[in-house]
Amino acid sequence: MELEKFEKSEYFVNRELSWLKFDERVLSEARDKTLPLFDRLKFLSITASNLDEFFMVRVASLKDQVHAGYHKTDIAGMTAKEQLKEISLRTHELVHVQYNTLNRSLIPALEKAGLHLVGAHENLTEEQKTYVDRYFEDNVYPVLTPMAMDSSRPFPLIRNKTLNIGALISKKGKKEKEEPMFATVQVPSVLPRVVRIPSVKEGDTSVILLEEIIEKNIDKLFLSYDVVCAHPYRIMRNADLTIDEDEAEDLLVEIQKQLKKRQWGEVIRLEIEDKMDERLLDILKMEFDIKEADIFKINGPLDLTMLMKVYGAEGFDQYKTPRYQPAPVPAFQNDKDIFRVIREGDVFLHHPYMSFDPVVNFVRQAAKDPDVLAIKQTLYRVSGNSPIIAALAQAAENGKQVSVLVELKARFDEENNIVWAKKLEKAGCHVIYGLVGLKTHSKITLVVRREETGIRRYVHLATGNYNDSTAKLYTDCGIFTCDERFGEDATAVFNMLSGYSEPKRWNKLIVAPIWMKDRFVSLIEREAENAKKGLPALIRAKMNSLCDPKIMAALYYASSCGVQVELLVRGICCLKVGLPGISENIHVRSIVGEFLEHSRIFYFENSGNPEIYMGSADWMPRNLDRRVEIVFPVEDEKIKKELEHVLDLEFRDNVKAHILQPDGSYVKPDKRGKVQLNSQMEFCMEATERAVQQKHETKKSRVFVPAEPAEDIED
Amino acid sequence: MAVMTFAAIDIGSYEVSMKIFELSKKIGFRELNDVRYSLELGKGVYSNGKLDAQMLDVLCETLNDFKRMMQDFGVVEYRACGTSALRELTNPLIIVEQIYRRTGFKVEILSNAEQHFLGYKSIAAIERGFKKMIQKGTAILDVGGGSLQVSLFDKDALVTTQSLKMGSLRIRQRLQELEKTTIHYDKLVEEFIRNDLTNFQRLYLKDRDIKNVIFMGDFITDMIFQEEMKDKIITRDEFMKRYEDTVDKTEDVLAQEMEIDPEYASLVVPTMVVCRSFIDIFQAEALWAPGVSLLDGIAYDYAEKKNFIRSVHNFENDILVTSKNIAKRYSSSKSHIQGTMNLCLNIFDSMKKVHGMGKRERLLIQIAALLHDCGKYISMGNVSECSYQIIMSTEIIGLSSLERKMIAYAVRYNTTAFADYDEIQMLGAGIDRESYIKIAKMTAILRLANAMDRSHCQKVKGIKTVLKDRELQMVMDSSQDISLELGLLQDKVAFFEEVFGIRLVIRGKGRV
Repeated sequence: MELEKFEKSEYFVNRELSWLKFDERVLSEARDKTLPLFDRLKFLSITASNLDEFFMVRVASLKDQVHAGYHKTDIAGMTAKEQLKEISLRTHELVHVQYNTLNRSLIPALEKAGLHLVGAHENLTEEQKTYVDRYFEDNVYPVLTPMAMDSSRPFPLIRNKTLNIGALISKKGKKEKEEPMFATVQVPSVLPRVVRIPSVKEGDTSVILLEEIIEKNIDKLFLSYDVVCAHPYRIMRNADLTIDEDEAEDLLVEIQKQLKKRQWGEVIRLEIEDKMDERLLDILKMEFDIKEADIFKINGPLDLTMLMKVYGAEGFDQYKTPRYQPAPVPAFQNDKDIFRVIREGDVFLHHPYMSFDPVVNFVRQAAKDPDVLAIKQTLYRVSGNSPIIAALAQAAENGKQVSVLVELKARFDEENNIVWAKKLEKAGCHVIYGLVGLKTHSKITLVVRREETGIRRYVHLATGNYNDSTAKLYTDCGIFTCDERFGEDATAVFNMLSGYSEPKRWNKLIVAPIWMKDRFVSLIEREAENAKKGLPALIRAKMNSLCDPKIMAALYYASSCGVQVELLVRGICCLKVGLPGISENIHVRSIVGEFLEHSRIFYFENSGNPEIYMGSADWMPRNLDRRVEIVFPVEDEKIKKELEHVLDLEFRDNVKAHILQPDGSYVKPDKRGKVQLNSQMEFCMEATERAVQQKHETKKSRVFVPAEPAEDIED
Repeated sequence: MAVMTFAAIDIGSYEVSMKIFELSKKIGFRELNDVRYSLELGKGVYSNGKLDAQMLDVLCETLNDFKRMMQDFGVVEYRACGTSALRELTNPLIIVEQIYRRTGFKVEILSNAEQHFLGYKSIAAIERGFKKMIQKGTAILDVGGGSLQVSLFDKDALVTTQSLKMGSLRIRQRLQELEKTTIHYDKLVEEFIRNDLTNFQRLYLKDRDIKNVIFMGDFITDMIFQEEMKDKIITRDEFMKRYEDTVDKTEDVLAQEMEIDPEYASLVVPTMVVCRSFIDIFQAEALWAPGVSLLDGIAYDYAEKKNFIRSVHNFENDILVTSKNIAKRYSSSKSHIQGTMNLCLNIFDSMKKVHGMGKRERLLIQIAALLHDCGKYISMGNVSECSYQIIMSTEIIGLSSLERKMIAYAVRYNTTAFADYDEIQMLGAGIDRESYIKIAKMTAILRLANAMDRSHCQKVKGIKTVLKDRELQMVMDSSQDISLELGLLQDKVAFFEEVFGIRLVIRGKGRV
């Protein structure tokens, strides 16, 4: 089949622009007046941190391409320069909307709710001023390091993503004509950015930002100078790691080197207060060597990620969606040991609706179980103080064979991961530091156990990382199984990750970067062939991003053959819907809600014999070509039904879903006359109900149950 | 133990591989892990007999990884075997010791005959069709990195087996320089091996009718044919088509097309040419590649020894048939060697408590009996030395080189004076004390049996023995006059008594 004719640039959207559309969708949540006020603050904060990462990684990479004189166009036919131009335009707009939302909608609403965010120190009451000055002297002054630039002192290093105050100062008593001097001081990141101050009205909360406190007292930093003006600014540097892995003798050393270098990257964005003095701006522009298009003049506080701190303010629970407590997993609501439960049948987990505890317990129990011989796991991003790491270390100390693949190339997490890796090594684990040239993104745990009937392998496969913190925020799926075919494949995966040859064949798992893309394309093509024969043909796929040209071309082909293609793509989607003869049968929606949609589920109708797969891979070239990913079939009929239900509910969501239009925009569905359906909330309810039901069922029995000795208290 | 795990490790000439098995009486064996690492040990060894330090480092690292993987499954029992790459080292013992020091693995260097016997066991082990197949003329072709082994079967038994130094890696190394000078690399390979092939055909194949060819090893199934052969059967036409497809292509193209490691890809053309040449001389119709490797054979052998499985095929018989064929080649008297063998068995079985030897030694003594006379073919006057030399330079499938040596010595001392331990060591035999004792015991029995058939008339039909205290009474059952035998036997009794520390009383039935 010729897929090339579906790979024309006019059929695709540029991925960066599509990503910006995603951030706009998050921003629209912040603007949604039906949401609790503090939730909106959180969403606004997320748009800001998203944008930061976008600049550091994507914009930086485009800049690199421009510097390198790389003229190739992307799938949508745009050169790097063209993309940067468009991005600058769109991000300026986005930032504009961010601050409009903050200034016109959120701050007044907070005011009403009794939280006063004092925007400028000039607006403080006398009492507050005294408090602020005291606070400055006691807490802030000791940690400040003001730096001035003159002929003998060069322009100081301004660190990536830090907030700074730039000032012009002139020597007291000097002649007017003399040029003022540049000075700068970093707003210390060790102190809280949001400082609570006494309120005028009893029961209210008032806060001010740290930079305002410093600005108010800035003259105390330059005692023999007059401060002409002082304004906050913030820079973003190129932070994308470009490691030449062919040359890297030792990956670990290389990454550690890169971490130090990162601070020195090129400045790609400068945020300043919009009232900034022109002379000050000129100095910054010259020193950072930055163009007008990359300067953001901001009407409000810089770096809105601090809103997350405001969100955390106590006493405003009525303005927040109550925090959801993950429900216990019904299969494990009993006294059976976890291995026995898995032996009785595959277990499906849907986080965060269901608790992540069974996954942690799986490793914990394996660490303690005398019959367990080995534990193997891939770790991509782990939480601080991860109970999984602790359990793995414990297992190694208990004499189990523990092999852990720690992916050092996980973006922005390297420093963190190196620490964990060392800790595990110390405990006696065998640590594999990733593969040269490939990120290991797959999420798999293997426990080998010696039982009476012989060796049995227990496998956990998932769509999300082994991170107990994000498991409360990201929607992910996982299964436990002791199916021998999965077990064999799991062993083969770890052989491969330790540098040994791939297996002769895979029983069940589909593994990237070698086999996955072709497999997906052939699964899509099979639907197309079925559609041509008049058989039922349907593809339903859920993922974070869709931008692999070959897959998209295959989807276009399938659509043109009459396959119904329904996609849930939370983030980037480079595919266009409604192209005549190409994508009229493709429907794309994006759910942006309380939880971050993160699971990847792929459903193929297969002429009435549905096949469902889950896994760690998005349909992106980086996942399919440059990462070790695992996608696995779901075979248990009950679990398949459950996944069909998950997809079904999400496709019926009319509260948090945005539907992609032929013009590239996303709109929320028309809810008039329809029952509102928020799939995430629905899943929360379902999971809670089921857990309660299960609890009652286990309690129904009339048989008296003798008490057992208290279990060891888990540390 | 009802269930146990076992690891088989193969240090081959182009890869190091390991399989971990679970063994149980209930299901026989089940593969738990199969792992391989491409490492061309043979590269240096075949040209200068040395293993460079870097290569050894990687080997030890790999073995340490294997050790970890073994622990994953709680493996304690293992067998690590080196094949031709280690065998052809000038200093194998030193390397083996270094490997032991650095990894804790005791690596056993297999003789060619042992290696191929294990490989051949693996086929017989997994395939029920094997027994049926070998009723007709069948050849097993095992193309390794260093050498290839071809074994011919007829009527349910192994007829002959020969080793030729035409392994894929060896061919590639030898022709490396020439490769650049030709665009028909396949023709070059063909020419390179032609002479050996012709000789093989003339000496061993003769006019045997070979219907089936079995390809040993997993290189063909995993690398060359991959998906294509679900039933593991390839017709000759399919093979030829594949052959035409591959032989003109360069390594890089092959590596890409077949999605295999380039190092493996470079072995594809030599392997294919060798296989085709054999298929041509056999005129075989069906090709069968069960995809089993030495590793399966090692595990099978172990499982059999530990009674986890019972073999469907009588492998000992293969060894005996091969030995008989060797005797036949040297025109030994069939009835005499058969008679001697029977007597040996008779003696052996009747005094188990005295000699304390096992099943394996029983087989060795049979082979010794079968081959004790083969030297006559060369010299009537110097039989023992000639027999010894023939055995030492003939590969007997299924025997380790030590076992072969033991047989050779037993045959040698059958008619010459038994040498003491130091003397044997001076000959550079490499025989340990335990084996030396076994040789002595085997010699004593063989001498006795041989003397009982001094006339080559098989007068003695059977022997009855009774052990009383320290006296072994041996009664020969014969309807003929055995005074010659009885008379000459007395020479042998002294040695027998010395070896077993027992008094031997021999008499004919009914006489004193």
